[in-house]
Amino acid sequence: MIEKIYNDIVKETCLKYVTESGVLVYMLPMDGYSTAAAQFTARFGSQDNGFSINGGEFIHVPDGTAHYLEHKLFESEEKDAFSLFAQTGAYCNAGTSFDYTQYYFNCANDFQKNLEILLNFVNDPYFTPENVEKERGIIGQEITMYRDNPSWRVFTNLLEGIYSVNPMRNDIAGTVESIAQITDKTLYDCYNAFYNPSNMFICVSGNFNPDTVIETCERLIPKRETLKVERMKFDEPARVAKKRMELKMPVSKPIFEAAFKCHTKSGLAKIEDYVHYDILFELLFGTSSEFFERMRENGSINEEFADGVSSGLGHFFPFVRGESDDPDFVLSEMQKEIRAFKAVPFSREDFECIKRSSYGSMVRDFNNVSSVADTLSEAALEDIPPFAVIDATANANYEKTLECLYALDEDNVCISIISSEDN
Amino acid sequence: MYNASLTSNTTFSPWDQRSVVINASVLDNRYALDGENLEAEMCELIRECLLFPNADSNKFDDILTSLMKVELIDTIDSVINDKSAYAAQHANETAYRGEPMERSALGTHEEAEQVTAQSAYAAYRKLLETSRVEIFVSGCSEFDDAKRIFTEMFKEIPRHDICELSTSVSPLKPQTEYVSDTLPMQQAIIRMYFKAPECEDREARGLFAMILGGMTTSRFFMNIREKQSLCYYCSGFSNKYKRTLTAYAGVEPDNIKRCEEAILTELHDIAENGVSDEELHTAKLEYYNRISTIYDSMGAMISWYLNQLTDEQIFTPEEFRERITAVDSARIQAVAKMFKLDTVYTLSGEEAAQ
Repeated sequence: MIEKIYNDIVKETCLKYVTESGVLVYMLPMDGYSTAAAQFTARFGSQDNGFSINGGEFIHVPDGTAHYLEHKLFESEEKDAFSLFAQTGAYCNAGTSFDYTQYYFNCANDFQKNLEILLNFVNDPYFTPENVEKERGIIGQEITMYRDNPSWRVFTNLLEGIYSVNPMRNDIAGTVESIAQITDKTLYDCYNAFYNPSNMFICVSGNFNPDTVIETCERLIPKRETLKVERMKFDEPARVAKKRMELKMPVSKPIFEAAFKCHTKSGLAKIEDYVHYDILFELLFGTSSEFFERMRENGSINEEFADGVSSGLGHFFPFVRGESDDPDFVLSEMQKEIRAFKAVPFSREDFECIKRSSYGSMVRDFNNVSSVADTLSEAALEDIPPFAVIDATANANYEKTLECLYALDEDNVCISIISSEDN
Repeated sequence: MYNASLTSNTTFSPWDQRSVVINASVLDNRYALDGENLEAEMCELIRECLLFPNADSNKFDDILTSLMKVELIDTIDSVINDKSAYAAQHANETAYRGEPMERSALGTHEEAEQVTAQSAYAAYRKLLETSRVEIFVSGCSEFDDAKRIFTEMFKEIPRHDICELSTSVSPLKPQTEYVSDTLPMQQAIIRMYFKAPECEDREARGLFAMILGGMTTSRFFMNIREKQSLCYYCSGFSNKYKRTLTAYAGVEPDNIKRCEEAILTELHDIAENGVSDEELHTAKLEYYNRISTIYDSMGAMISWYLNQLTDEQIFTPEEFRERITAVDSARIQAVAKMFKLDTVYTLSGEEAAQ
């Protein structure tokens, strides 16, 4: 049965369907577009490094396993997925995050054929000792590339500083040492546990026929026994693990990222938090804030300074990032600013202005076929309605934003800094 | 204004003259909550910024200029934060020595130090009065407000001695030049520049670059990454005006030479044996796919026509698709034979260099 979900703000209709095998499908046809995007996602990311199947013993897998599996899934006994997509001209790729792995394509032609290739290769793993070994060097080079990247290192160090036991503190791709332990059996164990239809979803946007998607999914996604997969629980303390992380690397000026550890909710409550903290941090530290203007004028920050909210399964934190000769001073000024706002809050007019900006940003995302597929996938991952974020933005209110301000603990913060020997 | 954006940046590519691109993006009027005319508001904002900058007595505001100067220097210096960008900038200095492309469009740290409130304002006036101006608009509108506001705006600017845009082919060095650079880093980066100044077959050059290193079934990806496991990325792209092809990869420092030889092997193989029908077919399909996506992005649509400004003939995406369709394997092989190695640049850690 197809459920139609209409949104009056963006004036779009999303179609929701669940295949007989249990895969959730979100589809949003877009008039006037020539391309289509499809994303096939498994709820399996780098943080899923310990799990049990059907009540059995917990299995621990090396850091970087989800990412390794993503690389290897493109391979098959005959033609690899890249070669198959090359026969249609579609662009395909994949990505692994902390809480999911996603395979996707964008195409202008042969939509059905591309969807068939996507579904077939994700549903048909081919791992051998030889092909798993072959990939080790490639992924090793990917890990090394990221280790040379200060922007990535400042972020991964930040996660290590925020979290004590949450597996997010480990790099998505793992380390050269951890991936050395990954075998074809490791990959099959994880594939069988997490690449189950009930743990996966498909999101499609742009120029396509929904009937084609449904027919193809029903034909190509086999029914499988639903496994009871239990992820290893961890008891993450409420306070940050470390208040300060610093690493020396060649950078022209110290770069930093600071995050305020918050309680992580789930579902719509988290989306509400996300929208309001996003507005709050724009009010406090955004490019139109007094803080930004003052700190930029006194040379403490530059135009690279930015704020945001990072949110996913099991994590939630508002953050700022930037470049500064004295990141510790910037953080202390931010803490002062939060205290000052708690004493004398922002006005309703300022709130409305920032809310309008957030709303505009959400609406503009619907211009882009891939962004729409991303929005649908994010909703499916969080198990919330497809237009929940834009609805929450339109309904954001002053009082809730104030609640977020008062709930924000300006001392429960970690700052990660990359500086060079010369800085 | 609903998260409208108004930004500017400076670039050299694709012309030999610097260009300043002012980029504005605003929500369509249909989505304004209170019926505002956002298109007109944005165009008025651009007009105000351009005609009434924060300046007085032929100079910009001193404090703001000092601030912008510091931020410009920060931006110039920050290239070291991105090893790939650092490698590209330093490799370009050798590959395009004596040409505008050898320089970063932002200039050098030392040049930025020399900027004053007066010199910046003089440069700004020169930009307004003498630059060639092209305005592109894209979206769901007739753009009557944009036409009216910008037409009126230019009546207020004395325009004279308008700059001519030009492009030039990059000459091939008599001998390949090898440059090694070091930074504290774990992975090494190699960039190889091939040039074919006499090659006029633009469509075949583009397809050649794709087959060699511009797609996930390219020679570099399939043979150097997948078969030899030498690197995570190894890619190539062509510059249609310079008639150059740049190959680049991130490799284990011990494998720099092996990677260089592997890249050369692939290029020589196409020059000697040509490409298969399947390779040519898949490259064309991928090209068609890229062309089709242009219509789904306002930015891509603008770039498509902006990048053809100095071309003798301007093609629609469909017309260019026809020209791509006409390329055969013989033309690819002919192009491959013309490309010669001009510059090899490597960036690696100090220990590796020793």
